[in-house]
Amino acid sequence: MTLSPRRVATSVVMAAWAGLFWFLIASGRTSLYLSSRTDWVVPMGAVVLTVALAGRLGSLRTRGTEDVTTRDAIGLAAMVLPVVILLALPPASLTSFAAGRRSSFVGAGFVASAEDVATGDLSLTDVAGALRSEDAMNALAQRAGEDVTFVGFVNREPGMPADEFVLTRFLISCCVADALSVEIRVAGAPPGELKQDQWVRVEGKLYPLGREVIVDLTEVTKVSRPKQPYLSS
Amino acid sequence: MVDIAQPLPRSPVAWRKVALAGASLAAIAVFLRVFDPTGIPAAQNFFLVFGSLLIEAVPFVLLGAVVSAAIEVFVPSSVFERLTALPRPLQLPGSALAGMAFPVCECGSVPVARRLATKGLAPSAAVTFMLAAPILNPIVLISTFIAYQGRDILWPMVLGRAGLGLVVAVAVGWVVANQSKDELITPRQSPDDHVHDEHGARATAFFSHLSSDFTFMGKYLVMGAAVAAAMQTFVPQSIIGGVAETPVVSLIAMMALAFLMSLCSESDAFVAASFVQFGIGAQLAFLVFGPMMDTKLTFLYRGTFSKRFFNAAIVTVTAVTLAGTLWIEVLLG
Repeated sequence: MTLSPRRVATSVVMAAWAGLFWFLIASGRTSLYLSSRTDWVVPMGAVVLTVALAGRLGSLRTRGTEDVTTRDAIGLAAMVLPVVILLALPPASLTSFAAGRRSSFVGAGFVASAEDVATGDLSLTDVAGALRSEDAMNALAQRAGEDVTFVGFVNREPGMPADEFVLTRFLISCCVADALSVEIRVAGAPPGELKQDQWVRVEGKLYPLGREVIVDLTEVTKVSRPKQPYLSS
Repeated sequence: MVDIAQPLPRSPVAWRKVALAGASLAAIAVFLRVFDPTGIPAAQNFFLVFGSLLIEAVPFVLLGAVVSAAIEVFVPSSVFERLTALPRPLQLPGSALAGMAFPVCECGSVPVARRLATKGLAPSAAVTFMLAAPILNPIVLISTFIAYQGRDILWPMVLGRAGLGLVVAVAVGWVVANQSKDELITPRQSPDDHVHDEHGARATAFFSHLSSDFTFMGKYLVMGAAVAAAMQTFVPQSIIGGVAETPVVSLIAMMALAFLMSLCSESDAFVAASFVQFGIGAQLAFLVFGPMMDTKLTFLYRGTFSKRFFNAAIVTVTAVTLAGTLWIEVLLG
């Protein structure tokens, strides 16, 4: 009985993926890729892969020889490559680059109810979701001039006045691939101070104007990217 | 006397290949650390989408491999032979409806379907199950319900997705019904497939089949995720907005978008619902075509099934989805 290179190589692939999943759990980076609704797949993957790896390690030896063709080696390396990429690159979340390429949350049928909008603290999704409902917009109009606080990143679209930007955040259902942008226009920002994709906390007064909602800024603070950069549906 | 004709053991060569692959990966890791490409917005977007598609899909491929290995090792072939003896008008819809009991997305159903066919289930029934499961499973139908809640097309979308998904899956099964297992499935030469005979121990056989299926499917998943991430990065979703009101073209455009985006069937309804400018038929086309045919699945199918099956499947899925959604569009649009 000798060690089989093929079985050792497949063990390495499984160990790499198991290691990645345990790393995501330990570092809290799962939220950069998955929504809170689906993040359970990471611990599930970590446990099942670890059990599978233990089972594989128990049968690394074989009586005959098991060749590894060049194609096999490339295929197995291709499976480890994403693990290498995800571990080597610094943590990041979607930026304004993606906002220009994705559908908007408003179009996705997410509607805030008039009851939610009428009372309590207003969230970014409440305000964006109100845009599709006449009742919710009427309820929002009743709260014109109220103070709001939102966190998102700066997205300055071409042609915008120097003191305005679109506060943007993404909402994901399963993973980053299905992200929808949630946006609200902010006016009264200090020109030239905020860079594209800078995460900020904006405090200001909310004004529904026709079919649009604007935040008239009273204070803007630069913040670091939240631990949960995406909103979940 | 020394037998000089005896072939040299091949393991040293195999070890060198494994070591070379490891060294190449280490070099890539160093390169990525030194020349961090995420400073380029498109590259950062690509890596995020690529990573998220894989992190979400790999556990489901693994679950599919677990089920597949369990079928191989613990379920006797006679069970599938009995199912195959059922009349075909019963077999195909029955296989499609069995998908309701398998709540994973499309990546997990491919290794299971392959294993079902190799164990003796009629290949047409296995592929019908594979295509129907990602649409008919309860999690997908509930997520479709949530995505369209509050809209007047809620029930047409949920029932239309389930009904048309069932019809398309059965149609593909019917089209490939005369193909044998050998004509449908690409043969795989992996020593792990013979481990059961070699050692006899069920646990060893189970883990060998599991790792074999996982690494076999995984590489195609990685390739598919890379292409899908590139498409999501470089093809803006707004590109198809101009054809929203053009009959037939809008349906084809949404099917093409579903193919390029390669979304999980458990979340695609939220994206489909965002295309409010498109009619009910086009949104249904997105939701029925995507879980059966997309970029990452193309790689998985091509690695698992014959070219003949793939061609038959893509033509049938496209034609029946198009005809069905066109009919629904005329009826309800």
